[in-house]
Amino acid sequence: MTETAENLVQEFTEKKFAKWYNKNYKFLLIIPLILILLSAIQIVIFYQQNNDFINKDVSLTGGISITIFPHEEVNLNELKSHISKTSDDLTIRELSDFRSGKQKAIVIETPLDPSEIDSLKSEIQNFLGYDLDNENSSIESTGSTLSQSFYIQLVYALILSFSFMALVVLFIFGTGARLKTILIIITIIPVILFFAGLIKIEIAIILGTIILLVNLGFYIKYSIPSAAVVISAFADFFMTLALVDFLGIKVSSAGIVAFLMLIGYSVDSDIMLTTRLLKRQGDLNKNLAGAFKTGLTMTLTSIIAITVALIMTQSFSEILKQIFTILLIGLAFDLPNTWITNASILKWHLESGRKS
Amino acid sequence: MNWKIWLLIIFVLASLLAIFPLNFSKGLEISLIEQNSTAFEQGLRQNQIIKSINGNPVNTFEDYKNEINNLFPTQEKIKLTITTDTSEVILFTNQAPEISVKEIPKTRIKTGLDLSGGARALVTAEGKSLTANELNDLIAVTNERLNVYGLKDVKIRPVTDLSGSNHMLIEIAGSTPKELENLIAKQGKFEAKIGNQTVFSGGEKDVTYVARTGQEAGIYSCNVYQEGEICSFRFSISLSEAAAKKHAEITNTLGVNASNPQYLDQKLDLYLDEKLTDSLFIGKDLKGSETTQISISGSGTGATREEAYENALKEMKQLQTVLITGSLPFKLQIEKLDTISPLLGEEFINTILIAGIASILAVGLIIFLRYRKIKLSLAVLLTSLCEVIIILGVSALFNRNLDLPSIAGIIAAIGTGVDSQVIILDESQTSTLSLKQRIKRALFIILGTYVTTLFALLPLMWAGAGLLKGFAITTIIGISTGVFITRPAFSEIVKKILKE
Repeated sequence: MTETAENLVQEFTEKKFAKWYNKNYKFLLIIPLILILLSAIQIVIFYQQNNDFINKDVSLTGGISITIFPHEEVNLNELKSHISKTSDDLTIRELSDFRSGKQKAIVIETPLDPSEIDSLKSEIQNFLGYDLDNENSSIESTGSTLSQSFYIQLVYALILSFSFMALVVLFIFGTGARLKTILIIITIIPVILFFAGLIKIEIAIILGTIILLVNLGFYIKYSIPSAAVVISAFADFFMTLALVDFLGIKVSSAGIVAFLMLIGYSVDSDIMLTTRLLKRQGDLNKNLAGAFKTGLTMTLTSIIAITVALIMTQSFSEILKQIFTILLIGLAFDLPNTWITNASILKWHLESGRKS
Repeated sequence: MNWKIWLLIIFVLASLLAIFPLNFSKGLEISLIEQNSTAFEQGLRQNQIIKSINGNPVNTFEDYKNEINNLFPTQEKIKLTITTDTSEVILFTNQAPEISVKEIPKTRIKTGLDLSGGARALVTAEGKSLTANELNDLIAVTNERLNVYGLKDVKIRPVTDLSGSNHMLIEIAGSTPKELENLIAKQGKFEAKIGNQTVFSGGEKDVTYVARTGQEAGIYSCNVYQEGEICSFRFSISLSEAAAKKHAEITNTLGVNASNPQYLDQKLDLYLDEKLTDSLFIGKDLKGSETTQISISGSGTGATREEAYENALKEMKQLQTVLITGSLPFKLQIEKLDTISPLLGEEFINTILIAGIASILAVGLIIFLRYRKIKLSLAVLLTSLCEVIIILGVSALFNRNLDLPSIAGIIAAIGTGVDSQVIILDESQTSTLSLKQRIKRALFIILGTYVTTLFALLPLMWAGAGLLKGFAITTIIGISTGVFITRPAFSEIVKKILKE
């Protein structure tokens, strides 16, 4: 392999950076720490104001969502003032074509009880001058009890996903069959109790969270690599949640699914990093640099792909817009969380291990 | 060529076969037809393919709508010639035929309601929790009710969600009647009483036959009424012996109506869900007789004659349904009702296809910028495409509906797929260890991420009454295909490209 001048310069700057990094990497942890602190503050303030962790849309609070394909373009403000007589807290937005910008449909959302559909429909029909039927409109209505039940179930699904993910990580990177068995049993017990109908879902959620924390404690004591992955994944989730709250995004059930997708995506890079550092021989820093190149490519391709998809679908589908936005935020946070949080903790652990 | 690549090719071909049927027919399929309609009487049946109307070929939904809107509604009856794949049917009518049509699907991929349009309802009992047995009974009666009403493309199944409650999930594809809510949720308790005594109730124990077509059932008059119109309907029913005996017993005790001597002094009151819908005079000859033929009548009002006609028809059908299927043992509550227009789905699929292609091209570009070999970019694109084809093929094979959550799942699977491919690409480029061992390590990492994602998705199979199941399933199919089929093949392709 021939070395060009370009390569030489690149190697030199890399060496300089590598030296600096090797000395100061622990201090880099300040960055994610600050981010986590800011996120925590945001989430706490949000909870105090809204009594919940996210802004929920009508699919999770209960309500009516009507999508109309109007015969001709509709002025949203006029429509809103015409309808607002029967309901506050009503949002109207339009779906438009990505290329031409033309209005394609209008979406009206309100937390009214589904029994009010008919009066809402007649108001709209009065304004439009024609009837709403199966072809020119879609109506989705959910009772509030059902929606709240859905919400709690999705929250539980999130906790379960996280717990299972953590267990698998321990399985891959942890040592000691005894530890793995104990923790698997501790985590599975409330799940079995719940599915057997012996405990209610709220209790299962609380138990699940406590056990997750307990597990994390064990990881920190017995398997720092596993702990690093879990902490990094959690930080990613936490920061994304805070930003979503801050931006005022109204999360639907699809949005919570996006958070679930995020768990999978963010863990990919962490597992790759940890495997490379733990199982490869050779210089730690070199392996880290190599892993960083791979991971950056992985995350960048995902970010670009999702950005393209977001730009093209955001004007048309609210569901896709939400999924892609949440994924994008999560992937952006994944970069510092994998390469600073996870990497620094792992490097610290490995180097202190090698010294002793 | 390596066996892994052969495996990939076999799976892709099999998937393509599963997706695309090998016949190409034109026309529109009749998806729904009302049983007591003139169209049905003249021989049109569900699943027949309409080729032309009045000689004009109809291949798309637009064609059909245009034809019908050009002709109807008219004052006088006109001749309507409908040519199907099996016959030619001629109707004389002044109204659009009471059928629903859908375009013949080009692929065997079935789309879910959010994409193809239809209605979905989640139903439970009011104030109580349904047991498994009660749910099954409820499903049987609802199924019969919807069939009697004329809806055929109906799927009803029990669902349990993570909170342990049981619901009935009804999914109807295609266009749905406006009365769907009533049809599903009305308890349908029908009682005919004289005074306080019940003569007969709805259901096959008391009512052995309900006329639905022809002379014995229909709208017989319309008149001006208050500020609009009122149309009246009647249809005859047959009572069972036991019910007829009861009729005799109760009428025996009645006297003759003073002001209307041809009738008895009390009326036969019809109650639907405890609301009085009509009161019928009882002819005096019926006193004490075990009559088995009863004529049920009622009416519907509206601002215009058309409206009144429609409403009367609606009332009649509901009464007929309730008399045939009987009542439900408990009151129902619709917790979720979605009626979805097919227009949304079409647009959606187009948008997603274009976005998907754009995204994957962007990915290909980055791969090229990073690795400087166009062949590697092409390999990545090809592998992702194969994964999508296989996911769709498996869905088509197992008749799984592709709905919005499923599409999100495909996106998730492709995303992790690209990640894994990058891992393979990078592992294959480092210089320590042999190529074979490096690929092995890459596959180990991929296996790790696979199992993690798999377990992370499992809870979605049950959360939210299984409405999000599609997401979990397509993602799992996608990543499993990736781990066992496409990515091993991809690693072989990469090996070949790098050896050059």
